[in-house]
Formats: sequence, C-alpha cells, structure tokens
Amino acid sequence: MNYVILSVTLLAIGIYGLLTKRHLLKVLVSIELIATAASMNFVLLASSLNKALGEAFLILAFSTDTCVTAIILALLVIFSRKYGTRDIRKLARLERNKENGSEIGEGDA
Amino acid sequence: MILELLAAGLIVSAVLAVHLDEAVYSIVSLTCTFILMAILYSLSDANFAAVFQLAISAGTLAVLFLSGEMLSEKPSGKKSLRNLFLAIAGALLLSIPSILLSAKAIQTNVTSGVSFPEALWNLRAIDVVLQGMVIMTVALGIAIVLYEKRGGKN
Repeated sequence: MNYVILSVTLLAIGIYGLLTKRHLLKVLVSIELIATAASMNFVLLASSLNKALGEAFLILAFSTDTCVTAIILALLVIFSRKYGTRDIRKLARLERNKENGSEIGEGDA
Repeated sequence: MILELLAAGLIVSAVLAVHLDEAVYSIVSLTCTFILMAILYSLSDANFAAVFQLAISAGTLAVLFLSGEMLSEKPSGKKSLRNLFLAIAGALLLSIPSILLSAKAIQTNVTSGVSFPEALWNLRAIDVVLQGMVIMTVALGIAIVLYEKRGGKN
C-alpha cells in the first residue's frame, strides 16, 4: 500500500471541502482533515525508516492543530452569535455591505 | 488485507465527513477517520502516535460535538440516499490508487533508528516555541471572552 497516495487523497478531500462547503463547521472539519493528512505522511514515512522522529513531530504538530481548532471554534461561536449565520459567504456579504455602508456614511459627512 | 480495508475505510469516512449535510453526522464520520488512523499508526509500529492520536482527537471531537450540537440547523429537506451512495462509491474509487499502487522501497543508509525520547530531545527547541504558541492562544481566548463581556455591558 502506498501511504503517500493515501495522504494525498485525504489532502485532496480536505481541500475539496474547504473550497466547496459554506458551513463554518464543515470548513473546520476540512482543515482537520488536511492537518491529519499532513501528519500521517510524517508518521508513516518516518515509521518505515524505523525512526521515531515522525512520532515526536506528530506530538508537536498536535499542539498547533489544537490551537488552530480552538481559534476557529471561538470565531465560529462569536460570528454565529453576532450575525446569526454559519454561512461564510453570507458573512462575507454582510461584511462587504457593512464596509460599503460606512464608506457612504463617511462620504455624506 | 487489513491495511487495504483500513485505507478504504479512512477515505470513505473522510468523504462522508465532508459530504454529509448535518454537522453531527459529519463529526461522527470524522471520529471514524481518526479512529481508523490510530489503528493504522498502531499497525505501522507507531504506538505512541496511535495513543496520542486517540487522546487528542477525543478532546477535539468532544468540543466539536458540543459546538456542532449548539450551532447546527435542522436539515431543511430530506436528502436522497442516492447522493450518499454516490459519495461512498466515489470514495471507494478514490481509495483504489493508494491500495493498488505499491510504494518503492525507500533506500536508506540508516543503520539504527532514533528512539522516541531521543527524537523528543532533538526537537526540544520547537517544543518550547509551540508551548509559547499554546500560551498565546490561551491569552487570546481570555482576551476574546473579556471583550465579549465588555461589549455586553456597553
């Protein structure tokens, strides 16, 4: 079995989800998949070389991964409370409308 | 044979995690992905990685479950089973290359492997930086909570 192709496939699934899904939680799941695919590549290649460096790297990579997850979840909760939506395109549209509104307001003043 | 089945299961559960509309089902699929990956690590003699994968993903998934329950919307309509089966079939097709193509043997001059404590000791500088990052994240979280409270009062 080819572990590199397996991890590339997982990476492709994660990127597909990141590009096509609009729900913020789905985006987070896609990011998790991408991170898992990358760390899997490290662990399995290092394991095939009989080195524990990959495992040590995985443990260190988990800390960054957990930080990323925590920050995205915090943003998700704040955005959904503030705007009442979990759709990233709606959020972007709201933000754009807000910017246009403030520009118009400044111009009027 | 077990490894091939694991690879196919890994890709099917990853595809379902992205494809399924309801957040809770999606997180259940992600749980399956993590468990299968831990089994794969264990079968590849990376036992520490398997244990850490299970422990960390259990924590991450518990938080994801809570937020998924809190934030998920009720599905608007009944989704057809046809799409689900198509997704599973596509995932099985995607898993074929990784199962059938065999990796070339990696030529290496390594005679003795690096032990796990030795590897951790070699990476201690990165460990310190990452611990700093975790502390920064905690500080950021506290700042966000305080900002929210302040905003609520105003």
